[in-house]
Amino acid sequence: MQIRRPAAIAFAAGLVVIVGGTAGLLLTRHSTPALRPVAAGVAALPVPTGPIVAPPQSAEPAPVASPVSLTIPLIGVKTNLITLGLAAGGAMQVPSSTTVAGWYTGSPRPGAIGSAIIVGHVDSVSGRGVFFRLPELKNGDDVFVKRADGTTAEFRVTEIQTYPKDHFPTDTVYGPTPDPQLRLITCGGAFDAATNHYLNNIVVYATQVR
Amino acid sequence: MRFPRVVRQITVLTAASALLLGIPAAAASAASAAAAGTGWIRLAHLSPNTPAVDVYLYSFGNSNAKIVLRHVAYGTVSPYEAVSAGDYSVAMRSAGAAASSQPVLSTSVTVKAGHTYTVAGMGPESGLRLQVIDDSLTAPTGKSSVRVIQASLKEQTVKFHCSCGGDITPKASFASVSSYAAIPPGTWTMSAIVGGSAKATLPVKLVAGTVHTEVVLDGSNGLEIVDLLDAAGAGKPPVGGVTTGLGGTAGHGPGSPAPWLAVIGAGALVATFGGLRLRRHALRRQLNTGI
Repeated sequence: MQIRRPAAIAFAAGLVVIVGGTAGLLLTRHSTPALRPVAAGVAALPVPTGPIVAPPQSAEPAPVASPVSLTIPLIGVKTNLITLGLAAGGAMQVPSSTTVAGWYTGSPRPGAIGSAIIVGHVDSVSGRGVFFRLPELKNGDDVFVKRADGTTAEFRVTEIQTYPKDHFPTDTVYGPTPDPQLRLITCGGAFDAATNHYLNNIVVYATQVR
Repeated sequence: MRFPRVVRQITVLTAASALLLGIPAAAASAASAAAAGTGWIRLAHLSPNTPAVDVYLYSFGNSNAKIVLRHVAYGTVSPYEAVSAGDYSVAMRSAGAAASSQPVLSTSVTVKAGHTYTVAGMGPESGLRLQVIDDSLTAPTGKSSVRVIQASLKEQTVKFHCSCGGDITPKASFASVSSYAAIPPGTWTMSAIVGGSAKATLPVKLVAGTVHTEVVLDGSNGLEIVDLLDAAGAGKPPVGGVTTGLGGTAGHGPGSPAPWLAVIGAGALVATFGGLRLRRHALRRQLNTGI
């Protein structure tokens, strides 16, 4: 009897583990839907105040201060801006945090003549990123960039485009422009679980108005 | 400042155009700047002995001017204005002349989407013409595109040299526009040279991914060079798309069943082991009982 008991326990325990494993397997056989932005229209944040300076002129390239923060009231974005360079291989470096956006230092400063590039994550591994609601923006919506000297540049959305990453239009997005413009970039489209990357980029084009 | 006159003129011009257009109008036009079907026009006065003029920009067939720039003096270049692609006409009138008066000069310009144009009064007063110049919006990767507009009447022909190691144009005649040269980034000295001696020099900082126009002007004393930043982009464009998502909000299919199958397998092993032991004990007891 004394010898038999451990064997019976092992047998019973093995059966319990089999039942539990089968239950776990069956319970995780379903898909989860994508999280989608809620309807737009709620002015979540107040418009920032402070001096707004005019765009610079061609012949007088007045130095524009570095960008420090980004506010997009309609979609509740208010983030400091970190600086980004290029990653190994020449791709765009992205913020290590998914809750902060960054300005690509190889592009013009926001408010100077040219196309300034700001990049933010749409999500983390578990939830929303700083640019989760970027696709909700529409033409005419306001985007504000505050600079290190306390001035604010105001931009207005002119275009929203979705591009497959393997056909990213480099010249259109990063090429020279004759007036102060902004491009906000994040991810979108289907998520490829094999590569752990989204297949598309969403680019919001905006032009400085003040 | 090396060119206080030009800078002042441009400041006045900007203020005047803002007043004329009204801020909402200016905002509305700028708002559509990047949208599909948009091009850009800027207006310039580059005729040395022509007095100040008023410059009007009309959308073709519309007698109400879209843009009016008052008292535009020699050496003035306006900022680019975003306009819808289409046909326009530009008219020059003597400064202060009535908008309804016959223009001194006019020309038509077709604006293509995504293109930039400079419409400039060029040449001597006696032969003044409005020239439509196609501007570039591209720079070779890692470089700047730089060209020269020779608008000096004092010196009919200049050589325009860059200290980066070459001439942007070896021979620029009056009222001519050079082709673009690809120049590496850096701060270079630009020189307008006549007969081997520099008549004007200007240090110009070139950042990769930019387009510049160097304008040679008659100054109050000798020649002047004015550097215009026409356009700017990322000098070193990132390769490919941007990896700005980790999938936490993406829809995804069922995860791998492997861990659960491993658990079931382990359970089966333990159960089998326990079962065999039980069976062995049972057999041994039967044998013992038998003896």
